[in-house]
Amino acid sequence: MRRSLSAAVLAFVVLCACSSSSSTPTSADATSTRAELTVFAASSLTAAFTQIGTDFEAANPGTIVTFNFGPSDGLARQIESEGAADVFASASGTWMDDVQDKVGVSGRTDFAKNRLIVITPSDNPANIQSFDDLATPGVQVVLAAEGVPVGDYARQALDGAGIAKDVLKNVVSNEADDASVVAKIIAGEADAAIVYSSDVTEQVSPDVQAVEIPDDVNVIATYPIAVVTGAPEPDLGGSFVTFVTSTEGQATLATFGFLPPA
Amino acid sequence: MAASPRDRTTPVVFVVLGILGAAFVALPLVGLITRAPWSRAGEILSEDSSRAALRLSIEVSLLAAGIDLLLGMPLAWLLARKSFAGRTLLRGLVVLPLVMPPVVAGVALLAALGRRGLVGGWLDRTFDLQITFTTGAAVLATAFVSFPLVVLSVEAGLRALDPRLEAAAATMGASRATILRRVTLPLLAPQIVAGVVLAWARALGEFGATLMFAGNLAGRTQTLPLAVFQLSQTDPQGATVLALSLVIVSLGVIVALRRRFLST
Repeated sequence: MRRSLSAAVLAFVVLCACSSSSSTPTSADATSTRAELTVFAASSLTAAFTQIGTDFEAANPGTIVTFNFGPSDGLARQIESEGAADVFASASGTWMDDVQDKVGVSGRTDFAKNRLIVITPSDNPANIQSFDDLATPGVQVVLAAEGVPVGDYARQALDGAGIAKDVLKNVVSNEADDASVVAKIIAGEADAAIVYSSDVTEQVSPDVQAVEIPDDVNVIATYPIAVVTGAPEPDLGGSFVTFVTSTEGQATLATFGFLPPA
Repeated sequence: MAASPRDRTTPVVFVVLGILGAAFVALPLVGLITRAPWSRAGEILSEDSSRAALRLSIEVSLLAAGIDLLLGMPLAWLLARKSFAGRTLLRGLVVLPLVMPPVVAGVALLAALGRRGLVGGWLDRTFDLQITFTTGAAVLATAFVSFPLVVLSVEAGLRALDPRLEAAAATMGASRATILRRVTLPLLAPQIVAGVVLAWARALGEFGATLMFAGNLAGRTQTLPLAVFQLSQTDPQGATVLALSLVIVSLGVIVALRRRFLST
């Protein structure tokens, strides 16, 4: 018994030694003001927020911004079960409401809008010229899954145009988030997809063709941002929210194709 | 059996670390069981999408294991019995799908068999045949990642086989086909079964390569792991029930076959 106990203690000590040695910061430039901010943000914000994060780090020396990009529904569930997020930026009010109800948020504000657009591979293999063309039998359409904001918005727009039934028959894949939908079109695997107009960035545009969705059926996404209750870095989180809604942050979002919130 | 001298000297460190190891593997499963909303289990499992995913998973994994067996056995035989230029390289290559991140496997499959891929592009242009987003793509993705398990197991079995047994059969006038059927295959059976079962189980659990290469469409490419993932985004508790159904299926088959074929 004594022997087994000492062996267990030894194993424990070894484990602790390993973990403590790996978590000790080795860089000499670590300062006492060093703070890490964790931002959970909708997949469609990947490019814009990566830039804003870099700008925020430059404006707040010693700060490191870590992003977790994903589908807003999945991010909301992660925040609700694991916490760990300082700031949540959602592509829909619904999932922010969910986090607000279950965890609580502060400083909630809408910071951007986005509209829907159809994209096809650059050679447009199915010759999509209008939103209604998505309903042509045999067109391979990729959408984000239901529950993912862009997937829900897309289905709303299809409903509004009265082509939901035919287009849903053409769907070949329900992707996990906005970025995965765009990736399938860039790779040329599917004929068309419904994504955000902000997805057609400078980097993406050579590989895709964009087809507008008429205003009367288009769905405008509103993006809320807030500090999550119980955040490890609430003050820094608040500064980040302010930064996103500042003139500088708004200008960056505009560069990446987002519309102003109001 | 009476305690042998060997039993008395079991190192305590092994016992402790062994128990830790067992707990490490078992704990997540216990977590799943405690978190699952059992009152909703019947409702979740009887949903059309769940049943379709389970059925598709079983079909896809069995077909994948079949492909692995059909192509893996001959390759294992070549690797074990023939020496040829590049054999060492080929051995490494065969293991690659096992250690490759599944997402990378998915990207690689797209590059080869996707609509704009090396072979896939040609198939699309010549025969108007597309693999991506089909059930066939899910079968290929799962067969790809599980393939090494059959080859490794069968090759190891062949190398351990005493060649004198086959030689003896030959001296008694048995034909090559007879030797294969009556001597080699029966002796190899445990390794073949082990390889196929492991490959099947790996195929059943495949997620990343399938998502990348086959997409996610209920009834066509949404296997159970993909259904678990999608449900976890909106109903994480419900997802645990679905996840457990997958664990139970694979655990059941592995335990049953292990007792029959793999026990010492």
